[in-house]
Amino acid sequence: MSDGSEALGISLEQIVLLSGLAGEIMLKNGAETYRIEETMDHMAKACGVAQVESFVIPTGVFLTVTDPAGRSLTVMRRVRDRTINLDRIAKVNELSRRLVDQRIDYANANAILNDISRERTGFSLFPSMIASGAIGGGTAILQNGVFFEILAAFVAAMLVRYIAHIVSRLHGVQFIFEFLGGMAVASCGAFLHFMWPQLGADPVIIGGIMPLVPGVAITNAIRDVIAGDLLSGLSRGMEAALTSAAVAMGVVIVLALNL
Amino acid sequence: MLVLKIVAVFLISASIGILYRIPRKLLVYASLVGVVAWLIMYYTMLVGATIVLADFLASIAVGVMAEVLSRVLKKPATIFIIPGFIPLVPGGDAYTTMLYMVKGKYVDGVAMGMQTVLTGGAIAFGIFVSATIFRLIINYNIERSLQHVDKS
Repeated sequence: MSDGSEALGISLEQIVLLSGLAGEIMLKNGAETYRIEETMDHMAKACGVAQVESFVIPTGVFLTVTDPAGRSLTVMRRVRDRTINLDRIAKVNELSRRLVDQRIDYANANAILNDISRERTGFSLFPSMIASGAIGGGTAILQNGVFFEILAAFVAAMLVRYIAHIVSRLHGVQFIFEFLGGMAVASCGAFLHFMWPQLGADPVIIGGIMPLVPGVAITNAIRDVIAGDLLSGLSRGMEAALTSAAVAMGVVIVLALNL
Repeated sequence: MLVLKIVAVFLISASIGILYRIPRKLLVYASLVGVVAWLIMYYTMLVGATIVLADFLASIAVGVMAEVLSRVLKKPATIFIIPGFIPLVPGGDAYTTMLYMVKGKYVDGVAMGMQTVLTGGAIAFGIFVSATIFRLIINYNIERSLQHVDKS
């Protein structure tokens, strides 16, 4: 490991591209800040550089590596659209562990990393709509809803996922999806109550807004703050708060019109 | 009725896992974390605790289970935390707050809003506490192993 990058036959440019790509994938898919920094550090060190400095904020990745001869190289990756894909994070994490333990060499690691960044993981639209619906229906059960309310909550939560699918094409527009989702859910609840007054809107709306809870933002905000990444922690906490506010505004507008 | 609710919680946690694309092999573990946490919240509230305390205890359990599972299975702890705490989220309280505010019952709305915010804060703080304790244990072990190296 300490015999230098030249001895391993890997140039500084290749190392910085590998670690930078790993960091970019992790940030795009919703990893914690300290995990991204540690992964990039470990991967670069495993490739034989003398010193690594990494800096990650929620919108970008910075990485400087220095080889034993004292030459250094910096890359910056700007990350604009972020999604949530914890499977990719687990895969990059596993890859970095294997690279550190020397169970895999640079060329293989690079090929696998490129596969990870390109592959389509997870489920297509319909299964994720069902999953979203199950969150809504399940929450309606917890709220002691009757059968038709549970069914309506299922449909409302499925609708939220469909809206997410449509809105995800508009890159760079934040919080509009949560707002529209809240409005759609509240409309479903209000419609149900209007058509069948014996059924309540409450379990439908409570169930429907559950898929809109910003789970990753909340978790990452807490874990970033504990790890000392105050900048990322605060901005992710703000993201979570604004997301919740957007959902609430969507619901409140429909409720207010309905009264 | 309780069995139905347990099945519902399992479904919620598993579906959150599917939406956030956690590795398929870990879906069962993550869902079980959610079920255990919800049961802790449910029984703590049955014996008379407030929702804030119940959610705090349940979310400490989520954090502990997630950190242990992440050490055992060598996967990021986030994978187990998110499906674990989503069933604890006070969605009903949040909705009731909105309803009061829209109807102009501001006193009730502020009281309910405070409870919602405190419950959310309790969940966050529970995860915070367990993660901090695990970090302290790890740092302590590293310190000790370094001292051991120095002596020998």
